Order: sequence, then C-alpha cells, then structure tokens
Amino acid sequence: MASETGESIRPGRAYIPWDDLPVKRETVAGIGTVLPVIVLYVLIAVLPIAFAFWASLHEIHTLNPEWQWAGLANYREVLNISTFWGSLWRGIVYMVGSTLLQLGVGLWMALVLNRITRGQKLLTAVVFTAYLIPTIIVSLVALRVFDPLGGVFQMMGAEWFGLWGAQTAPLGSRDWAMRLLILIGTWKFAVFVTIFTLAQLRAIPDRFYEAAKVCGANRWQMFRDITLPRLMGIVLVVVLLRSVFMFNKFDIIWQLTEGGPGNATTTLPVLAYKTVYTDQAYGLANAISVVMFLFLLASAIIYFKLFNPSEEVETTT
Amino acid sequence: MSQSEPPGGVFGLSYDGETRVIEALKLISTAIIVLVGAWPIYWMTQLAFTEYEAVEDSVTAFPTPDIFTLGNFTVLTQPEMYTYMFNTVVVAIGTIVTVVLVSLLAGYGLARLEFPQKENFARILLVGYLFSPIVIGIPLYQIWQNIGLLGTRFGLIIALSAISMPFAVWLMWKYIMTIPEAHEEAAWVDGASRWRGFRDVIIPQCRPAIIAAALFAFALAWNDFTFAQILLPQTDTTTFAPGILRAMGQAQFLPDAYLMAISLAMTLPPLLFAYFMQSYLLKGFQVRAL
Repeated sequence: MASETGESIRPGRAYIPWDDLPVKRETVAGIGTVLPVIVLYVLIAVLPIAFAFWASLHEIHTLNPEWQWAGLANYREVLNISTFWGSLWRGIVYMVGSTLLQLGVGLWMALVLNRITRGQKLLTAVVFTAYLIPTIIVSLVALRVFDPLGGVFQMMGAEWFGLWGAQTAPLGSRDWAMRLLILIGTWKFAVFVTIFTLAQLRAIPDRFYEAAKVCGANRWQMFRDITLPRLMGIVLVVVLLRSVFMFNKFDIIWQLTEGGPGNATTTLPVLAYKTVYTDQAYGLANAISVVMFLFLLASAIIYFKLFNPSEEVETTT
Repeated sequence: MSQSEPPGGVFGLSYDGETRVIEALKLISTAIIVLVGAWPIYWMTQLAFTEYEAVEDSVTAFPTPDIFTLGNFTVLTQPEMYTYMFNTVVVAIGTIVTVVLVSLLAGYGLARLEFPQKENFARILLVGYLFSPIVIGIPLYQIWQNIGLLGTRFGLIIALSAISMPFAVWLMWKYIMTIPEAHEEAAWVDGASRWRGFRDVIIPQCRPAIIAAALFAFALAWNDFTFAQILLPQTDTTTFAPGILRAMGQAQFLPDAYLMAISLAMTLPPLLFAYFMQSYLLKGFQVRAL
C-alpha cells in the first residue's frame, strides 16, 4: 500500500479523469460501498423469488430435475387440494394465537422491566437468554419434558391436572399439539415484543408522569393516557412483524411435530417442505412458496405504510 | 412537604396503598419471569448430569449423588456429533466475518458519501426483515445445486449473511453517524486518503458496533435450522440443528440424557454472551434496527 508512509496516495495512482466523466467520484465510491449488500440481496432474495415463479409454472420432480412446462396447472392444483386450505387455516390459527400471546406476555415483561429497580441485570440476562438460545435446544427440552417416559410436564398434566392420559404424548395428540406449539413458541419469541416496546417505553420522558402526578392522575390514568398512546405505533409494527414471522415459521413446528399428528400442525411452510421432500413435487412446492411470498409482499406494503422508513432516514441525516 | 390528600388511586386505594400493590405485583412478576425464563435451562442442565436410565424411567428434579454422572458428556466425542458442532462453529465464524466486513463498508458509504437512490436503498434494506428462510430456501435449493453450492458451508454462509444484513447495515450506519466527521477531516488534512481515514479513524471507533453486529450474526447462525436443513442435505456436512434431529431419527443408541448433555454444550456460548456482553446487545437493540 502506498499509504504506509502516511503520504497521500492520490498523486501516485493511475490518473482517472473524474472531471471529464459523467459520474462523480463520490457516486462511484458510494455505490461501491453498498454493492456487496446489493449482490447478496439479489442472490438471496431477487433470484430465488424469480426462480420460484418460473419453476412454479413447470412440472418438476425433486430428484430428477427435468422441467416440463405446465403453465398455471400447479396453481390450479394448489387451490384445489384440500391440504392447502387446511394448512392455510391452521397457519392463520397458529399465527393469530402466537402473535396475541406473545404480544401479551412481551408487553407485560417490558412494563415490568421498565419499572423495576432491583434485579434488573438478572432479568435482562434472562430475556437475552431466550433470544440467543437456539430453537433446536428449546425443541429438544420441550420434547423431553412432554415425553410420556419421564417427562415432567407430561406427568404433571396427566396426574395433577388430568389434561391427558398417563400414556399419551401431548405433542402427538390432536387436541394439544397446536396449543403446545403456540405456548412453546411464546417462551422463545415473546422477548422480541419486549425488546421493541422497551426501547419505546424508555424514550417516554419522566416529566410527563410527574406532570400527571401533580394533576392528580392515578397510575391507571397515567398508563392509559401517557404510556398506551406512545406505545401504539410500535405495537402495530411488532404485531405485523410477529404475524409475518409466525406465519412463515418452519423450524420449531418441524422439530416438534413434523406437522403431525396427521396434518394437525401442518401450516403452509410445513406443507411446502413436505411437498418438496415427501411428494417430490418441486414445481408444486414453488407454487406454494409464491403464494407465501405474495402474503409477505402484502405485509411489506402495509409495513411501509405504518413505519415510514424515509422518515427514519431523514432523522439520521 | 406533607400531602394530606394524595391523589385517589385505582379501586379506591390511597396513593400509598396503590404503590404498595404495584410494588408487590412487580416483585411477583419479576419472580415469575425469572423462574419461567430460567427453568428450561435449569432442567436441561440437571438432566445432563443425571444417569440416562434414571432420566428415561422417572421424573428427577435434581441429580442426587446416587444418580449423578458425567458420562453423558461422552456424546461430545462421537465423530458425527463433533462434525455437527465443528460445522456450526465454521458457519458462525464465516457469517460473522462476512456480515461485519460488508456492513462496515455499506454503513460507511451510507453515512459519509452522497449517491443517488440512497433513500430507496434504505427502503430496500428494510424489506430484508421480511425474508423468510422457507420461502427463499426452496428455490435456493435448486439454484445452489446448479451452481455447485449445495451442501457447502459457503453456500449457507452467504444465505445467512444476507438475512443478517438489514440489521447489521442499519446498526453500522447509525453508529458511524454519531462519529464526528471532524476526526476524519483531521486525518485528510494530514494527507490521508479516504480509505486510510476509514481504516485508521472510523474502524477503531466502531468497535462497540462491530461487536454488536457480530453478536447478532452469531445468534442468527447459531440458531439457524431451516436454511441448513434445506441447503446442507448430506449428513456429513450439516450443522448441529438439522444434524441432531436426523441423528434422533437414525441413531440406535441416543438416550435423552445424551441429548441434554450436547444441548448444554451448545447453549453455553450464547449463555455466556448473554451475561458478559449485555451492554453490547443493549446497544444493538437501542438503534431499533431489529
């Protein structure tokens, strides 16, 4: 490097006539800095989506990728198979149940964390643990404690509360699989809501509460008239993001139940995965992917309406 | 200052009574959150130190001396388990390095350089939050197969890096905005080039942001299941999450106590980060880039 001596490297470089070129040097350098990100996005987002659209118009066997033009037949098939509508419905149940529960638990944790004076460090550590711990570990522990052979929650549910029989595996029962998936997911994912809302809570100036106190407001009135209105915006964003994430959640469902028993926990992502690897119908799976992508796109549009990023950009420049 | 008539509280309680109720509720809530949050980790740890026959047969809450054992940890020396963990570590390190390098560069460009479409770039960046591994993974399977990246750790690192980008770039961008440009100008006056200023002035000051971005990239890579399951189909190159799930289905002898032992080993790095790097994690969350 010519810059080792601390001397300017510009005179030593090959001369590029920036003044004569139609673009400015800064523009080239600026675009150069973000180019790697753009390449990654094209490779991981644009290309796969385009590929999925193209593949969804073909009949493809997963292991023998010989493409046969099928037109819109895959989409007709998707909309006609009963598993699609069933999976869509279960996906919505899972999404709504998870999001509501996570929102409730997450907000509660944020309010407690915000007002607590002792043990803050310990609580924060617990919250971060749930965030950092891999989903597979949560699943392995859940599989262990709900196992009929020596699982502590299975035993408690059967003997203390009579929720299920002594020999049944709750994660393999039609009645309980979906509910338990929602509960186990909440343990891991409620902290996202906490993290988002806590930042907003911390940003409310204390003088608002002091003024309300002087005016004789009680705690409920302060919560209703100061805290809640300030939280509404971020809560909308969180609800939207959590809904999208839970609708597309694949890992925890596959690890815990593989979509079973029967189809009781098969949501759209699980259906797409099974279509690739069990039914070997790669084209059809891509059609399901495209349907899920359209859902994402609709959410993205709403997201931008709610959470205007250009506003965000302006505050930083 | 004595207030004889404090403001009326909820349910007709006096203000002081209300304070006491709230304090009690806070204490109970804290206890519940800590208990529920820490319980699975305690349970996993105690099962990892209990003999596997005892784990299979009955419910034990604590490894008393007669059932205590360290034998479960022999699972870590099994060659395929070792491979899974090694692959996870390689993927995590690869993702961290890629994410830090790319996001530092992009963050600097966004913070310091003027170029057209900058605002639209920020907009597109945020779309990245909505990337879903399952929607992208299924088409990516065939694309990677065609260009020979299927089953390679490199292919997985690229996918995971792209998923981490929106957060990391946003974090770097906002962090570099807080560094006064005068520091760099001083270097330029002394004859440093833009690159030299970036390397010797910006990067050293970005240390907290770099650590935060690295932590979040680590969390993502360590946690990933969907991408690895789809993009690393062969058993010998896969990472821990899909590998252990396949081993559960195929292995002839893999008792739950062994699973808990290896889970504990995989949980330790994130647990240590959660305790010792809290301030960096908080910094990351504060920019609201998640």
